[in-house]
Amino acid sequence: MWAVIKKEFKSYFYSPVGYVFIGLFLIMFSIFFYTDVFNYQSTNFEYIFYSGATILTFIVPILTMRTMAEERKSGTEQLLLTSPLSITKIVIGKFMAATLIVVITLVCTFMYFAILCFFGKPHIITALITMLGFLLLAISYISFGILASSITENQIIAGVITIGFFILTWFLPQFSTIFTNFSLINMFSKFPSGQIDIADTVTFIGFTVACLLLTIIFMQRRKSVR
Amino acid sequence: MNKPHGEIIVDGYDMLKKPKKAKKEIGYMPEGVPLYTDLTVKEFVTYMAEIKQVDKKNKKEKVEKIIEQTGLKDVEKKLVKNLSRGYKQRVSMAGALVGEPKILILDEPTVGLDPKQITEIRNLIKELGKTHTVILSSHILSEVSQICNKVIIINKGKIVAIDTPENLESKVTNNNSVYVTVEDPENKIKATTEKITDIKKIELVEENGDGTKQYIIEANGEIDLRKTIFAELAKENITIFEMKKADTTLEDAFMKLIEGGNQ
Repeated sequence: MWAVIKKEFKSYFYSPVGYVFIGLFLIMFSIFFYTDVFNYQSTNFEYIFYSGATILTFIVPILTMRTMAEERKSGTEQLLLTSPLSITKIVIGKFMAATLIVVITLVCTFMYFAILCFFGKPHIITALITMLGFLLLAISYISFGILASSITENQIIAGVITIGFFILTWFLPQFSTIFTNFSLINMFSKFPSGQIDIADTVTFIGFTVACLLLTIIFMQRRKSVR
Repeated sequence: MNKPHGEIIVDGYDMLKKPKKAKKEIGYMPEGVPLYTDLTVKEFVTYMAEIKQVDKKNKKEKVEKIIEQTGLKDVEKKLVKNLSRGYKQRVSMAGALVGEPKILILDEPTVGLDPKQITEIRNLIKELGKTHTVILSSHILSEVSQICNKVIIINKGKIVAIDTPENLESKVTNNNSVYVTVEDPENKIKATTEKITDIKKIELVEENGDGTKQYIIEANGEIDLRKTIFAELAKENITIFEMKKADTTLEDAFMKLIEGGNQ
């Protein structure tokens, strides 16, 4: 599994994907840092993450759309499937590599925290809890992205399905309050106030596990049908 | 690697019950050589070694050895996407070889190569055949008869024949025919050959532009006619330009077997 994580992680930086993801996120984050925090002269670092979560919606597909789809299209999938590695390990390896990119991005955001420290006393615990929530949101997004990538061999379709789903869960609560509990981005919104909501945490993790399991099942079924 | 029914046993391991062990014994080189094109040759082979769970301790040596063996030393730092088709084929083969599998499955390994590369790859396969079981799937039958020592012909999912290429070829040869090209302006050859009792029939194949004619002469039973034909034609002053036994190739055998299966 380490081999897959290592290779996938390296691949993100051999292609522009890794740089584009981190770069785009940090540029948008800087803009929100300016508009949400700097303009209000506040030191609430965690507020930026409200906007940060919306950026995530649009850039996670960049990371995930090629994971499975490209292997399938180029046929390299056969190399993986004929190796002694189990499908579970392949899927988790790819998931971990994408997660690692998000973790690196999160670590980078600490520089904004450092800037705030210069002007006031931002609350470190709240910041960490917010980041935890953000990471949970990210892993649910990534796992869904991988699932979307595993059902098609076209990266673009995988990307569009992913963004479409995210936007749907984001705006559904506006149509009916029934959907409030199904909106991933809504679930995240409690974290920046400094509370870890157990129900939301479990939902995030559950969603992630479910998506990964579905991916594994899809891969296994396709393999045996061929 | 899974299947709807039946069972696959690789080196004693059932593919469904012990997939990990079974897959470890297989090196697979897929058709169309899918490769991770954004890695360098060395990185690719190393990655293949890692996913095939080669021991960490001697991973480096093994990768070096395989790169050496497949003749990739000069290009090991190049990106796979920048290599020629022949080299890509080698990289793919290196990937299949790296876990030291007992069984190598090569799917159309010489498709799309130039003649020099084909010879190189064939020699490599022959070399590997000494130490591994190589299963070669190919549509180029001359290649098969050159490299393989056991042939399985499958028609519409059913096995039609399992044998050595030589046996398959000899199975189809039911007569001993000889091709002769002669200069024979007076057309004496038919009358001459009628004197030889062993000859079943003689047929004109083609008239060449230079006044020579090619005939095919079929014998009664398993006799080599060449000596008698030479002697008799010489007596009649018919000049023989060329004489050769009609040999059957694997293609003929293949066609015959497939036709038999379709009827």
